[in-house]
Amino acid sequence: MKTAMARPLSAIGSVVLIIGALLPWATFVLNDGPYPDKATLEFFDAPFGLSSFRLYLEILGLAGIVFTFVPVRDKIRVLKSIGWGAAGISVVNLLFIAGDGGGLGAITAADGVPAFGSIVAVVGSAVLLFGAYQLPPEPLTVIDSKLPWWAEWLILLAAFVALLFLITETLTAGGHSGVSDPYIGPLFLSYLSAVGALLGVLHAFGVTEWISDMSERHRVFSIVVLVLCAVAVPFTSVGNDYWMTITANIGVYAATAIGLNIVVGLAGLLDLGYVAFMGIGAFVAANLSGAVAAEFHIQLPFIVAAIASGIVAGVFGAVVGSPTLRVRGDYLAIVTLAFGEIFVRVSQNNIGGLTGGSNAIPNIPDLSLFGAQFNDAPTIGGLQLPGGVLYYFLIVLLVALVMFVFGNLKNSRIGRAWIAIREDEDVARAMGVKTGKLKILAFMTGATLAGLAGAVFAHKLATASYDSFQFNQSVTLLAAVILGGMGTIPGAVLGAALLFVLPEELRQFKDYRLLFFGLALVVIMRFRPQGLIADRHRRAELADEDTTGESLDDTAIKEPVAVAAKEAGA
Amino acid sequence: MTPVLQARDVSMVFGGLAALKNVSLDLDEGKIVGLIGPNGAGKTTFFNCLTGLYTPTTGQVLLKGDPLPGDPAAVTDAGVARTFQNIRLFPSMTVLENVLLGRHVRMKQGPLSSLFHGPAFRRGEAAARDRARELLAFVGLGKVEDELSRNLPYGDQRRLEIARALATDPAVLLLDEPTAGMNPQETEAARQLIFRIRDTGVSVVVIEHDTKFIFTLCDRVSVLVQGELLVEGTPDEVRGDPRVVEAYLGKPPEEVEAELQAVQEGEQS
Repeated sequence: MKTAMARPLSAIGSVVLIIGALLPWATFVLNDGPYPDKATLEFFDAPFGLSSFRLYLEILGLAGIVFTFVPVRDKIRVLKSIGWGAAGISVVNLLFIAGDGGGLGAITAADGVPAFGSIVAVVGSAVLLFGAYQLPPEPLTVIDSKLPWWAEWLILLAAFVALLFLITETLTAGGHSGVSDPYIGPLFLSYLSAVGALLGVLHAFGVTEWISDMSERHRVFSIVVLVLCAVAVPFTSVGNDYWMTITANIGVYAATAIGLNIVVGLAGLLDLGYVAFMGIGAFVAANLSGAVAAEFHIQLPFIVAAIASGIVAGVFGAVVGSPTLRVRGDYLAIVTLAFGEIFVRVSQNNIGGLTGGSNAIPNIPDLSLFGAQFNDAPTIGGLQLPGGVLYYFLIVLLVALVMFVFGNLKNSRIGRAWIAIREDEDVARAMGVKTGKLKILAFMTGATLAGLAGAVFAHKLATASYDSFQFNQSVTLLAAVILGGMGTIPGAVLGAALLFVLPEELRQFKDYRLLFFGLALVVIMRFRPQGLIADRHRRAELADEDTTGESLDDTAIKEPVAVAAKEAGA
Repeated sequence: MTPVLQARDVSMVFGGLAALKNVSLDLDEGKIVGLIGPNGAGKTTFFNCLTGLYTPTTGQVLLKGDPLPGDPAAVTDAGVARTFQNIRLFPSMTVLENVLLGRHVRMKQGPLSSLFHGPAFRRGEAAARDRARELLAFVGLGKVEDELSRNLPYGDQRRLEIARALATDPAVLLLDEPTAGMNPQETEAARQLIFRIRDTGVSVVVIEHDTKFIFTLCDRVSVLVQGELLVEGTPDEVRGDPRVVEAYLGKPPEEVEAELQAVQEGEQS
């Protein structure tokens, strides 16, 4: 009986949503702002203006109607994704217009101008959602088909190019070059909601899992294409100085997060002082860079300095890791927390004279290669590239290296032993795993990678300061790993990107941005505890909470195509 | 012939509590030895001494004549593998990965080889996979290697644990209550499996509550009661021993009645 109401409700909701998108949204006119032509809330009246948020709503509404009546698998997840995406867009813009337009009048009626669009859209998405939740829950769709290798390569290529497009669009959704656009916040969030809805629908169809399994099968190919995509970024719409700096920062933190992922995600050792290893790497590189304030007045080639940074950080990693032989769980977290604090205090007070204290080590020379300074904007074959693009390429290389280390170690005897330690340390030991050595190895490897990232970081910033390696950085990195998905590479990269891009894009909301940010983390952890891109293992570990708890065999709806393909192949 | 595994006067004291008192056990090559006793008799403590998890307070454990190393990982390396009373698989690893983990100790790839995945690494990995699949087929789990171990039915989890232990190429396999919670058919299958393991040259020690199972499985049986070795012998000897009957079933009814009467008379007087 409940399900009988589902279709009418979601259909009505979708229709209301479309009507809402077509109605005017704001009554007030905003008179200030850097773009006089755009600095008006009439902007929200244009049917499909620059913001496109109404276009998203139209598309979502139409999709809602189509998927209500067309028989699709896992209808509930499809409609839920659409509903939540639409709700996100409507609520964000409603709050923004009400907030900036001076209260309720801006979204209802004032001076004889009615503008109920946002409220209608919110109601529409609520009805749509309500209808969707009446549907019976279905097991997650699993597409099990294997195609010939060239077809899978093509699909992967297309997927990664689409991903690249999505990412550059996400970055620039709120405007270019970081110039303060008054609408950057809501525009970005609207876009993010729409993308979220799209990914949700793809997930419901089993497409995302299918592609990720495919990329697992063609690991080397995927990595090559990913690197190529990353190299292509400067040639897209984000190819300017501002975004080069932001993406380079994301890259450094992503590399560090992948390193942390070895310690936390694979070996299951909670490390709250991880950023200190990045700091150690940065200071070692700074001291060997020939900077005036450095302790040693020698300038080693960057590659040598970077290796030295990695080694020194690795040694410290082994030292900090050694208590793991005796200390477990929460107690280990406290040990690592203490180490992080010791590092900050020591470098702040310049104990040992290697860190420049509160003056930091400034003026670290720019890197150069064949006479090209890394901060300059090079011209290749008449094509003007943005400034800092060489750093960006260097960091892409760094991330690729770190991915290589992580991926290969994970799929080896050592990676398996780490996962076993995470799952049940006593049993791992009883099975002959030398847990002590392996735990120290995990710490060492993670620290070495962080040290390398630190060396690049110091040159990129031209400064090595204790201030960059505080406790909150460690926590942010840890959040990146957990949010993105423990034990996976794309998870760590996505987590780092989100954690370092979101604050950038949410500047619109000034003091509230960290509040929103925190709320977003809570929501994601509540509804997707295994992280955005979950490890196959962990996905299963936490999946019970949102499926009906049947065994995998029952939930896997085998694609008829797959069966046919298997038979044809056999 | 020296026994493969030999416990000599093993005692284990926790604080003031003597969990084991001078327990000795000989396991000859290619034999199955059973260890029975009521709850709390010290069977699992004894097992932990045999696997290096505990170091005996006094006494010693010899493997092929050499003292057992003090670390569980080293003991496994030396050739003693075990299963656990409460199944302890790596729940979110696949069936195959669980067995591969058992293979860990026989694989030689170090950190660098694991990092670069060279030809030697690939060969070692392929060999380990082959061996793991062989063992899975041996215990009858050949078809589910990609299933997560937590999703296996109970009996299959027990068999997987055995496959994982066998992957370490043990000389001695210690099974801690391998048939707990199984129905008669599964128990029979477990018995056949243990016989087949024995036939591959692995010596086996089994702890079990189910005396019928032990008496039809083992070459020799030891009975532990309150930390002490009560009886040791062939199944027939042990089965007929009145002390075992008393330890297991309590005293015969007439004796209990007599004792009760004696107590009552004592109170009256």
